[in-house]
Amino acid sequence: MSPHLSPELAVLVVGIALAVGVYVVAVLDQAIGEQVGGARPRLQRVVLDPFRSSALLLIQQRRTTERTDAPGWLLAPALLMALAALALALVPLGPTEVAADPDTGFVIFAAAIAFVMIAVYLHGWSPNSVFPLHGAYRFGAQSLSSQMPFLLAMLATTLPAESLSIVDIVAAQESVWNVIRQPLGLPLYLIVGVAVSFWGPLNLPDAADLAGGTSAEDSGVARLMWKAARAAMLVAVAAMGATGFLGGWWGPWLPGAAWVILKTLALLILLVAAGHLLARVRIEGFVVVCWALLIPLALLNIFVSGAVLL
Amino acid sequence: MARASTRVVLRRLLGPLAGSAPSRVFLVGGLGMREAVRALRLRSELTVVDAPSAASIVIVAGVLPDQFSDPLALLHDGLPHPRAIIWWKPGTDGLALVERFPDVILVDGDELQLVASVVRVHRELFTGGRPSSPSVMADVGAAPWQGVGPYGQGGSGMTGGVPYGRPMAEVAPDRDGLRLDVLPVTVGPFFPPFPPGLRLDAKFAGDIVVDCAVPANPFTDVPHGAGRVRPGLDIFSRALFEPVPVAALELARARDHLTWLADALTAHGLPALGLRALRLAVHLRADDAPLVRRFIRSIEWTQVLQWSTRGVGRFGEDARESLRGCGPVARAAGLCDDVRSEDRAYEALGFAAIGQDAGDAAARWRQRLDEIAQSLDLAGRAGALQTELIGRVESPRGLLIAGSAPTRRLLPLIPGLINGVEWGDAVTSLVSLDLDLEEAALAERLPTTTAGAL
Repeated sequence: MSPHLSPELAVLVVGIALAVGVYVVAVLDQAIGEQVGGARPRLQRVVLDPFRSSALLLIQQRRTTERTDAPGWLLAPALLMALAALALALVPLGPTEVAADPDTGFVIFAAAIAFVMIAVYLHGWSPNSVFPLHGAYRFGAQSLSSQMPFLLAMLATTLPAESLSIVDIVAAQESVWNVIRQPLGLPLYLIVGVAVSFWGPLNLPDAADLAGGTSAEDSGVARLMWKAARAAMLVAVAAMGATGFLGGWWGPWLPGAAWVILKTLALLILLVAAGHLLARVRIEGFVVVCWALLIPLALLNIFVSGAVLL
Repeated sequence: MARASTRVVLRRLLGPLAGSAPSRVFLVGGLGMREAVRALRLRSELTVVDAPSAASIVIVAGVLPDQFSDPLALLHDGLPHPRAIIWWKPGTDGLALVERFPDVILVDGDELQLVASVVRVHRELFTGGRPSSPSVMADVGAAPWQGVGPYGQGGSGMTGGVPYGRPMAEVAPDRDGLRLDVLPVTVGPFFPPFPPGLRLDAKFAGDIVVDCAVPANPFTDVPHGAGRVRPGLDIFSRALFEPVPVAALELARARDHLTWLADALTAHGLPALGLRALRLAVHLRADDAPLVRRFIRSIEWTQVLQWSTRGVGRFGEDARESLRGCGPVARAAGLCDDVRSEDRAYEALGFAAIGQDAGDAAARWRQRLDEIAQSLDLAGRAGALQTELIGRVESPRGLLIAGSAPTRRLLPLIPGLINGVEWGDAVTSLVSLDLDLEEAALAERLPTTTAGAL
């Protein structure tokens, strides 16, 4: 493991990246939502509403329910945010500009993704209420099915790099990006990435048919934290997608960091737009598609990638 | 103490910013006000939320039956502080319910006045200019734990019964042959994906509905004349007793289907597209057909007719005969059932009922989307034609006659439709039925003779 930034600076950089990323997701969500909804675009509202809504939630009472698991309820958004921070810390902005570059970067990313299920389940379990618990059940089924193709798609990117380090995965894309080398990889990653970050069509645990699901009982700062943590996880998934498949810092004219940010932004726009344009998927159908189609496709992706390299 | 002072400091620092945010409102539509409440979604000053915990203001509109008193009080008390309740056009018959909320703000004006009041109240709440509405129910459990048994559940076992008013999970076989906890839960009457007033007494095993019952329509208990007929229903109830312009009737049908589409899209996780549908509905004219067709094509891209609804909520062959008179729901299940075919005015326009075979939620979505286009086409060609059939009318939900409405025919079919399915599919099925308890109550109040209407 060779950290390229001092620990203090790394924490600061990741914190700023998360805060900016969460704000960008809120702005994109509002802007795309207004566009799709046929409303007149209002720049002031799009730019300022995240601040106004945050102020409102900071003042609002943090409501509670009867016989809650209070520590769990507090811990869940913090855990989700920490997992997003962990994933984001592995994303390099350049060959040396990275908060953490462990040799086992991919394994750490995989572990962070696996723990998302714990955070969401805890968030649904803690309020001792029907709809949040239903949301938690759903995410159990959803994440067990989606995490495997998600991580298999990502695992294929380690083959050309012959390394589990995220920096090495990007370095190996100097001549050709993985999106071309492994054409199945990015689509698979994005489909299940939406599921892992429970966004848009795969926002099953917090869905409208559960009146908000795991967040149905959240108010005040608890709601703010959960919304921020969800957005942070989306940013982490997009940033890792840009890193693993779109060549990370590689690109002409602009500095490497700018390319990482632009590619992450492009994926974020795609993911947020999907949330406004694609209907919610049925949990049963999604589970079947994951096991019967996406996992075999992800395995095929690995075999073909390996065969090409041999 | 420290927490209270932190809150004061936060309010002083952030109050003006929070006060300028869109007001987060939870909407409750009473008699005569469902369309008016729905139109509030288009106001940029408001953000309509789907859980009381996310709201600062609850807006109640129109007259509500007395049975809603406790559910409304629970809803109100479920809002986090600072909070307020605004009652829009309560009418004189519903005042007993209104008076239960000591800090209720009454608004009798139009939508603009309501929105101005909401914005003002919201700003005052967050800048400290208005006290938060106090709880109206005692802050104790409706059925307090009494400490009997190892978990205070009131007995020696862990499952079953309703000890001290608390329904306990009980064990029952599930569809996989296991024995799982079954939990009784009441959903409604203000659950946003459901029509106002619909309550479902369900039993869940995990996320599967294993049993459910639909209590009687609460709107039938509202005194006759307490709520005015809402504008969208007005023309269909008039068509029972007198000729009405076909163009206006078909435009109202297309508008009704579009407002259903707005609600249904929101329930399927597409609130922005739902707003677009609502915008189309509110401003709909007969020459908007190309615009509406383009929008309907964009609905196809969302896959809502594929992965969300296909195969869900299918009526079995044995249930299909019960669907007679249920309009698009019946026609989507292969029944050629449309009283417009009996009207000479429609005959002159070359009207032919359209239908689907599948009988599932996707077919019902497809049916209504096709009927929107058909109604706009008829409205565009009808000119000054008037309906001729009196005493029966095809409402957007099916055959409307004095004394009976399609929703009343559909309510008994709900348990058979959703028992044994996952909750998401149950909601999808119910949304696709386009239930309207207000229309059902209205039909039961209508005079059964033309003379009675005059």
